[in-house]
This record gives sequence, C-alpha cells and structure tokens, in this order.
Amino acid sequence: MKVLLDSHRCQGHARCAAFAPETFVFDDDGFSRVREGMEDVKPENAPGVRKACANCPELAISIIED
Amino acid sequence: MKSIKDIERTMDFHGEALDNIFETYRLMRENCPVGRSEKYGGFWFLSKSEDIFKVEQDADTYSVKPTMLVPPVADFPMIPIDTDLPELMDYRRILLPLFTPQALAKMEKPVRDIAQDLAREFADSGTTDATAGFARALPTIFFSRLAGFPEKDWPKFDAWVDDILYERTLDPERAKKAQDAVMAYFDDLIEKYRGRTIDEADTGTIMDYLLEAKIKGEPLSRQELLSYCYLMFLGGLDTTAWAIRASLWHLAQDLDAQRKLRENPDLIPMAAEEILRTLSPVQAMGRTCKKDTVIRGQEIKAGDRVVLLFGAGNRDPDIYDEPEKIKIDREDNRHLAFGAGHHRCLGSNLGRRELVIGLEEFLKVVPEFTLGDPSEKWYGVGRLTLNFKK
Ligand code: HEM
Ligand code: SF4
Repeated sequence: MKVLLDSHRCQGHARCAAFAPETFVFDDDGFSRVREGMEDVKPENAPGVRKACANCPELAISIIED
Repeated sequence: MKSIKDIERTMDFHGEALDNIFETYRLMRENCPVGRSEKYGGFWFLSKSEDIFKVEQDADTYSVKPTMLVPPVADFPMIPIDTDLPELMDYRRILLPLFTPQALAKMEKPVRDIAQDLAREFADSGTTDATAGFARALPTIFFSRLAGFPEKDWPKFDAWVDDILYERTLDPERAKKAQDAVMAYFDDLIEKYRGRTIDEADTGTIMDYLLEAKIKGEPLSRQELLSYCYLMFLGGLDTTAWAIRASLWHLAQDLDAQRKLRENPDLIPMAAEEILRTLSPVQAMGRTCKKDTVIRGQEIKAGDRVVLLFGAGNRDPDIYDEPEKIKIDREDNRHLAFGAGHHRCLGSNLGRRELVIGLEEFLKVVPEFTLGDPSEKWYGVGRLTLNFKK
C-alpha cells in the first residue's frame, strides 16, 4: 500500500498527525507531507494511515492499494 | 404546523432557532438542500456536506467579502476571516507557526495545569455552573495568556463576547457598543505593547507576533492590527467554551458514555470530534458568490449571499451512518466544525487540544454528574447546572 498527499489541497488540519504521526511531517506553517521513505506504508502503520485518509477534511490524502 | 416553504423562508441559525435546529436541518436537507431564506437581507443556504465542502474549496467562485459572519459582528472587515486570497495567506502566515503540531506540543502542560486547577476548584467549591467554573474559564485563562491579554482585564471579556455574538440578533445597539468597547480596549493594549509598559505578558504572545509581523516589508497598519486582534478575541474564546460546555451537557445525559470515557480516557479525542460534529460551536458561515453559478440545479447569481450550514452538513446521512446519534467512538469523522479550504479555522488544533485536555481533567476530578436543569440549552455559553455528589 502507498500513501500520497496532495499539498495543494492540504490546509493543515493535522488530523493525519493524530492518526499516523510516524507517516506525516509538518513544515513550520503546519502543512503536512509524507515523511521521506514512508510512501510505502508498512503493514503496522496501515490502520493509522487509513484513518488519516478517512478523517482528512480536505481529501488531501489518497491511498493506493497493492 | 409550519409548511416546508415557511421553514425555508424563515431559516435562521441564531438564538431560539437553535432549539429545534437539527429537525429544521433534516427537513431542509431532504426538501430544499439549496434553500432561500429571507432573513438577514436574504441568503441561499446549503445543508449537504458535499456542497459545503465544494464551496469552501472554491475560491474562484466565492468570496468572504464583505464578511463571513451572518449577520455581521463588526462594521469593518475582520482579518483574516473577511479577507480573500491572496492577501489572506499573508495574514494567516503570521500566526500559523503558533498552531502547528510541534508548537501545540509545548502547550500541553500549561493547558493541563489550568484545567486541573479549575476542575479541582469546581469539584470542591460546591458551585454547580460548569460554564463559568470550567467551560469558559479554561479558554479565558489559557487563550488570553497565549494571546497576551493581561489577566486584570479578563473579567470584562465574557460580557463583551455575549453582547457581540449572542445579542447581535436581539439588540444590535448593545452589540455595537460592545464592539466599540473591544476596539478601544485593543487600541489601548497595542499602545502598551508598543511602549512595552506591559508586564503581565511574556514575549511570544499573539500580540507580539502581530506587532512584529511584516507583509512585503511593511508592518501591519493600526487598523489591520485592531481588526486582527478583534477577530482573535471573538474566535479564540467563545467557540472553545461552547465545545467544552456542549460536551459536558451531553455527557451529563449519556451516563454510559461518561463511564466509558472515565474508564478509557484514550477515547476522549474521538469523543471530542463527535461532539464537534454534532453540537458544532459555529453552526454556519457565509460567502458571497462572485460569478453566476449553479449548485444542485439551483442558479445562484453573482452578488448573492450563500450560507454554509456546517451544523446541517455535519449530520448529513450521505456521509455518516446514524448521523443524528452521538457515538463517542465514531471512527471516520470527516466533519465541518472548523470549516475547510483556505479559511480553515486557524485555531482548530488549539481548540481541539483545549477541549480534549479539558474533558480529560474534568472527568478525572469531578465524580459522575447529571443535568441539574433540563431547561438549559444545548447551545451557546449560558449556564450549565451539573449535579454530582460532593
Ligand atoms: C472548538 C473551537 C473552535 C471552533 C469550532 C472554530 C470554528 C471555526 C470556523 C467554523 C471557522 C470558519 C472556517 C471556514 O469558514 O472555513 C473558524 C475560523 C477561524 N477561527 Fe476558529 N474555531 C475554534 C477555535 C478557535 C481558536 C481557539 C482560535 C484562535 C486561535 C480560532 C481562530 C480562528 C480564526 C483566526 C479564523 C479565521 C480563519 C480564516 O478566515 O482564515 N478559532 N473557526
Ligand atoms: S489532515 Fe489533511 S489537510 Fe490536514 S494536515 Fe493532514 S493532509 Fe493536510
């Protein structure tokens, strides 16, 4: 499973940080991106990433299943 | 019985209209998801989640001018809420660094300390009004410190907020007087900051950020500073207090949920989202259509006002199962309580943490509580009487 973040849509709600802090990092203005090397989601992080995706108000996060 | 047409025509989301608002929303979603009200100069209103999200994210078609607030809460444009892109981002960037996850991590302890003290005091004192004793007190103390509003002035804040936000539909003159008082207050406070004759406030407050900010090399003008301060004052205090009060109001009646949260505090963040969804402190915000457009088949003309009913979208059955039910363990909760798009609430992450930490500490200290006066409303920041064994 892969995770993508559309930075044009992200508005910094930080819901992704609440569910998958290991996968997302924030810049100094609070906008999120996928942490380097975390685009391929490890099985143990998958539930959190799915929740981040479902709870992102801007639909900025997408998941590509294997 | 009022007809659907009458309900549509008189659609309102303030004061007593909130008593039965969720039923009104349901009728509107089902019968006229793009409705037309005659209130406040006339406006279209949207009650479907999808439509609201679309408008929020469509800056090409919708403006926030002359103001996002319906009816207005100021007779000048407020920063940043009444500003369109691209200026909007210049203003938001000044304060965004204060509310990142990293910055918020540093606020955990101070918020918790205040919440703990207030909860203990409330539990011990034998007073029963959880609004004054806790829900309003927590943001007043924490947010005012963060903002740099001196402690000696706090006692004045509640009445100003009440007059501006809650009296404006009943007594506009009183609201205007309070607006003038708040503006005069900030005029004076800015002067004190400039001359650094302020001692209560540390540096690093919102006031400091605003005073030091430069946009394209220029500091903010007096009017810009006043306007930004005024909006932060209105946005930072009342909404959080409403969210905390509404949570306690609900838990006082849902003892099963109250017990679950006590036994398993890890559920509190999820419960907080659910309260924000179902009892949203900001029920609606407005936009102005910039060019002719169509929503769900309804033509909207350039210049028309469009109201986004967050409270209705948040109970949309197309998005949530059992939308009217408050389920403290709802997992997928993509709601509109903080809006969305480029005007997304600047303080959303702070408001959330204050709510979550507030509930955690309250439930730790105050024993099982029930509603003391069932006539008290679900909405607003009025009295909330709680009964519990001392
Ligand atoms: C639970 C508490 C809160 C709720 C429910 C809430 C809700 C909202 C909503 C619905 C909007 C309009 C967003 C839109 O139209 O898309 C908004 C805007 C705003 N809020 Fe909050 N808010 C809360 C707490 C706070 C706090 C604590 C602050 C202060 C730091 C704050 C500052 C603002 C500002 C500055 C804006 C204007 C943003 C812009 O126009 O760019 N809010 N809020
Ligand atoms: S939840 Fe969505 S909008 Fe919010 S920070 Fe994460 S990606 Fe951005």
